[in-house]
Amino acid sequence: MSTAQATTTHDEIVATVTGIVAQELGVPAESLAPDADLRSVEGADSVKVLRMIAKVEREYDVELEDEQVFAVNSIDGVATVVLDTLAQDAA
Amino acid sequence: MTGSPGEPAEPAEPAYLRVPWSVLDDYHCFGCSPHNPRGLALRFTARDAGIATTFRLDRGHESYPGVVHGGIVSVICDETMGNLIVLRLGRTAFTTGMRLRYLEPLRVGVEYTCVARLRPTGGRGQAAPPDGAAGGAEGGVLQAEAEILDAAGALLATATASYLPTPIEVARERFALRPDEADRVVAALDAIASEAAAPAVSQADAAPRVVAHRTVAHQDVPHQPVPQPAAAPAAVTDHLREH
Repeated sequence: MSTAQATTTHDEIVATVTGIVAQELGVPAESLAPDADLRSVEGADSVKVLRMIAKVEREYDVELEDEQVFAVNSIDGVATVVLDTLAQDAA
Repeated sequence: MTGSPGEPAEPAEPAYLRVPWSVLDDYHCFGCSPHNPRGLALRFTARDAGIATTFRLDRGHESYPGVVHGGIVSVICDETMGNLIVLRLGRTAFTTGMRLRYLEPLRVGVEYTCVARLRPTGGRGQAAPPDGAAGGAEGGVLQAEAEILDAAGALLATATASYLPTPIEVARERFALRPDEADRVVAALDAIASEAAAPAVSQADAAPRVVAHRTVAHQDVPHQPVPQPAAAPAAVTDHLREH
């Protein structure tokens, strides 16, 4: 687990989340668009999506609210809630 | 230990870590005591800088048919993280908060492993409770995390929790122990703390990466409340640990 830095950007989070999603689903990172619906990616199911979220939480040392977790449906959406949570924790 | 010639060698006994409460004849921790017939009897081994326990639960711990009760999963995570502090730091601590994420149901009769490690303090940062709320902290709140994995290494649950170290003088008052029993537990904790503070490579660091095996064999035992120390103050936590 790495400690998130205050300078973490949305794009950096997108890149990291993309890597986690690719690893979890066994697909090339290049095939994952930031705005693609995560649950529509081949091989994805609700358990795998939750597992990705758990790994993202560990990576950034954040605890996302369940409302956020079940509302997001894309890598870009995950990055946004992570960034928001990091900002709230730093405040 | 080896068997007779021609017989396969028995697997080596995992290097279990000895909880300090084992100096007591009949300690009844729901999580880790071998003397509690309703308990989980978890045993722990070193796992890198953390500890691990492997378990297989029976129908006495069921919720939906064939599914392990989520509350028991929570107990196992808490027990492993709490014993991490006891076994790695030689300190007693009360749970002050815990958060779980259940990713997939655990199945009755299937073997899983819970791994716990300390988290760096000051990351997310959690303010310590007001001094006196839990008898005064010996240092700040400790943060720990746990994961439950299946035999293939798939992640099934994650947990994070905070623990308030309790000065041993306070523990003496709050635990239901006779003075001589408390002395023995303190000596065991001191031995762990001394080893943890040793500059050389610790025994724990050098321990093989093996995990404990434990099958809970109390079929169809109904759920029972976790035993609580008689003198435990409600203000400490509603999820009071014995250690």
